[in-house]
Amino acid sequence: MSFESLLLMRHELVLLLAIVLLLIAEIGTNDSQKSIISPLAIILFALHTIVGFLPLQEGSLFGGMFNTTNIVATMKNILNLGVLIILLQSWKWLNATENRVKVSEFYIVLFSTLLGMFYMISAGDFLMFYIGLEIATIPLAALAAFNRHENKSAEAGIKLLLSSALSSGILLYGISMIYGTTGSIYFAEISQSFKGFEPIQVMAMIFFFSGMAFKISLVPFHLWTADVYEGAPVSITSYLSVISKGAAAFVFMIILFTVFKLFTPVWQDMMTAIAILTMTIGNLFALRQNNLKRYLAFSSIAQAGFILLGIISGTATGMATVVYFILIYIFSNLSAFGVVSIISAYTGKDSISDLNGMYKTNPKLSLALTLALFSLAGIPPVAGFFGKFFLFTAAAEKDFYILVLIALLNTIVSLYYYLMPVKAMFINKSESPIAYFKTDKISQLGLAISIIGMVVIGFASPVYEKILSFCFGI
Amino acid sequence: MNVIFFYIIAAAILGFSILSVTSRKILRAATFLLFVLISTAALYFLLQVHFLAAVQLMVYAGGIAVLIIFSILLTSNVDFTFEKIDWKKQVFSGLLALGGAAITILTLLQFNFNSLVTKQTVTPDIRSFGRAFLSYGDGGFVLPFEVITVLLLAAMVAAIMVAKKSKQ
Repeated sequence: MSFESLLLMRHELVLLLAIVLLLIAEIGTNDSQKSIISPLAIILFALHTIVGFLPLQEGSLFGGMFNTTNIVATMKNILNLGVLIILLQSWKWLNATENRVKVSEFYIVLFSTLLGMFYMISAGDFLMFYIGLEIATIPLAALAAFNRHENKSAEAGIKLLLSSALSSGILLYGISMIYGTTGSIYFAEISQSFKGFEPIQVMAMIFFFSGMAFKISLVPFHLWTADVYEGAPVSITSYLSVISKGAAAFVFMIILFTVFKLFTPVWQDMMTAIAILTMTIGNLFALRQNNLKRYLAFSSIAQAGFILLGIISGTATGMATVVYFILIYIFSNLSAFGVVSIISAYTGKDSISDLNGMYKTNPKLSLALTLALFSLAGIPPVAGFFGKFFLFTAAAEKDFYILVLIALLNTIVSLYYYLMPVKAMFINKSESPIAYFKTDKISQLGLAISIIGMVVIGFASPVYEKILSFCFGI
Repeated sequence: MNVIFFYIIAAAILGFSILSVTSRKILRAATFLLFVLISTAALYFLLQVHFLAAVQLMVYAGGIAVLIIFSILLTSNVDFTFEKIDWKKQVFSGLLALGGAAITILTLLQFNFNSLVTKQTVTPDIRSFGRAFLSYGDGGFVLPFEVITVLLLAAMVAAIMVAKKSKQ
């Protein structure tokens, strides 16, 4: 192995460098100099994002434990973009006096979890996959408990930790069955050792499926989602709902397509049932929420159900639509969370009824939230429409007509609740609407990037075609 | 002989695990957990994987169980007793657990493990473990070994973040 070949791990190495630099900066500064940490972290991360977009060769390292292909690099770049937007959006909240003491820890832990996701996506064997998954989960529980003096935040932390421990246990049991019956942890060797529908191997696949379903919060493994999303700080909630979920969906898809390709009929049946349940229950529960974070939590459960529509097809088109949908979902959900986090950082309010009459006082924010919700609902001019439309096409190509029909019905239900906050802002009257406030430049920048992304990507067909050219099917 | 020992150890693991979960005093539960971990180490000794057995004894029985007991003594009221769970819940969750176990065991028994050709790449002695940990070629484990250090670092920083007092 030559030294240059380590450059295949560029995403991870640059991010690790950023983590180490932040650690040194934290040690080397005194209390009055701590204000440089945030700009430093954002600049380092922006550099890391740019470096990620440079062309990268395909290849594998460490005896096949680490793989990188064009689609894997694209997934990492998409996650990078999302994290960059979150960093910009969390600026105001993080620099409030009560949080300033923990700023560098916040960045170090956040970047480490992202590093874990990168290793998870690039994994060529179950060991690296599992280690990556744990790096992406355990420290995140501490982030959810960031405001640990608030009961809700502490509760969110412990709930995330316990439910992810349970799901990891199930997942690991499945992996141990696979190792026990095939004698290998490498994806390539395992998929060759599978000979027929051996019951124990099907069961291992089901356990793996359940463990991942926890991470993506699919029904019936979604019960932790709403409480954790509500209790955690808004920035962490948006990180959980787009980055964690996106990374888990990517790796779930890759492993189903490569390792479990023999069991395709089995997981397609399971996924049909789970997709229908997830979309329907996510939507029905979202209808009755008043807290904005809980509302977005159930909306994100429903969106996860739509993501399954692309995975289920098992084709290269399906994979491309999932990656494309998650890219759009990151932009639209982060626009929504961006507005919510700005409102909660400036006024401390976070329920839908607080939005009443907001258009009169804060027209720009209202417009941004409206666009974001349109995109999540899938209303044509915004990118969300194309994302959903492509997912439906991918599933329909493989004759999942009933599933697509139910998904369409669910889209109609979701229109109702996505328009509720819009109605509150534009039509409802309020005695005391949220007063006018001026948003700081950095939050504005974060919001602007996500809105531009959301509007432009829908019309930029080269993006989708580029992704499609990298994808593979079963 | 080995078979008899295996069943004794297995019974100990099962019994202590059940006691650990059902005990209503938290310190007792932790102590039973310690016994579970020690019995697991005994199982490894029986299988002649001495390295793993030593690790199990040192890390789990010696380190983690003691850590758990310490943190219980430092934080919670030792005399605290969990409230009794009402019988409906007990019956329901018992049935569910038994059903799950039955399905898993039946599936496991169907597989013919003897048909597997074991390809032993690493002979189980300390020297070859060390080499496997540090080799970067096929079957080498240096990458996971190094990546775990990131996990430890992140967990440590995260723990500091939770414990840190805000100055006000």
